Amino acid sequence: MTAPSVVNRTRRSGASVWVVMVVSSIASLVASFVLAVEAITLAENPSAELGCDINAVLSCGTVASSWQASVFGFPNAFLGLIAEPVVITIAIAALSGVRFKRWFMLAAQLAYTLGLALAYWLFYQAMFNIGALCPWCLLITVATTLVFFEMTRINIRDNNLYLPPRIQQALFSAVQWNLDVLVVIAWLLALVLLVVVKYGNALFS
Amino acid sequence: MSTLAREKSRQMRAARAAELARQKRQRKVAYVVGIVVILGLAAAIAVVVGRSLSSDDGGDVTGKVVVPANTEAGAFSVGDADAPVTLDLYYDYMCPACGAFESTNAEDLSRLIDQGTIRVSLHVMAFLDEQSQGAEYSTRAGNAYAAVVDAAPDKVWAFHNALYANQPHEGTEGLSDDQIASIALRAGVPADVAETFTGGVHRGWVAQSTQNAFDSGVTSTPTVKLNGDMFTGDWSTPGELTRAIESAATPGAR
Repeated sequence: MTAPSVVNRTRRSGASVWVVMVVSSIASLVASFVLAVEAITLAENPSAELGCDINAVLSCGTVASSWQASVFGFPNAFLGLIAEPVVITIAIAALSGVRFKRWFMLAAQLAYTLGLALAYWLFYQAMFNIGALCPWCLLITVATTLVFFEMTRINIRDNNLYLPPRIQQALFSAVQWNLDVLVVIAWLLALVLLVVVKYGNALFS
Repeated sequence: MSTLAREKSRQMRAARAAELARQKRQRKVAYVVGIVVILGLAAAIAVVVGRSLSSDDGGDVTGKVVVPANTEAGAFSVGDADAPVTLDLYYDYMCPACGAFESTNAEDLSRLIDQGTIRVSLHVMAFLDEQSQGAEYSTRAGNAYAAVVDAAPDKVWAFHNALYANQPHEGTEGLSDDQIASIALRAGVPADVAETFTGGVHRGWVAQSTQNAFDSGVTSTPTVKLNGDMFTGDWSTPGELTRAIESAATPGAR
């Protein structure tokens, strides 16, 4: 049996998709937790992190103290603490054989798309307006992307998105051919490229 | 009749085969495009990483050290030499926290200097050069500061504050030498001094000053010392640093 056919078979069975989703959302949850704890420490003692550490390659703690770090008036990480356990629950339930209603999966897709938009807005802010990156935030960006792609894949496969038949058919074929894997790889490489173009000197010198 | 049916089924099979072949072609094209894009991105990353690894801009620590006049032990001091309190400030012109320190405390410090309560010793550092996209803002701003220390010492405090009032965002290219010069002019620095900024005469000294600060145990900026002791209070609360200075200045209060 060739490697691609193994990949194909496990992906078609659907289990691996949910596994990637569980792993990614756990990573996001851990990162959110770390960031939430940092935010609380910062709130308790504003000068604790307020300083430019000689050893901080990527940032001066500027990400955590920016207004963008609490868009809604509380640390963004709290949103991760609320949302990621739900994703984990859905993925594990699905792994155990639960099949959710179409409207449920559509709602999950819509909610997670909002989450993805927030993650990328923050990534953009950190890159271009705050001028600093934090490793935990990057982990969330990557993990959110993976969860989003896996969820989209499942919803296309199961025709949960109420799309017009022709679009649904085209996307279904693309997913059957694992084109989404190529898209995810290209997407993540593009992120890496952005980061090294902007911060390569700081990272490697 | 049966031939007709056979013919029809043959046509349907042919149509289906054509459709499958078309799909297979599409799939192939999609794979090739995808893989080309991925390889292109990977190559671009390799090139960028390779370039930033080879562009070893090194430190200027080995550069010639031209010590500016009017400094003592690597620091420039503002205020009455007999002031009861000395405040040592370690800072980097790119550091956002130093900017926050200035915006909270600069006015109070100016007043305390004028009242003869404190003498502020400035220890310039430049360790955030990586944060200005290769423009080395920290070092260039530090060099400009050193040039003013050397040739226009009575304008140093005003220029120092003006640099923070116009502080660029961390991670941007920062201000150009010309922009720094025009800030200096507005702060009252003579034009012939501001013109020397681009020469970068004191870059080596700025690097040495940075190293000296590291060696003395400074691990982050801003670092504030009152009468030689690390200030551990919260300088980000307006008035807290001022109160600490005033109580240190009052005899018997300590």
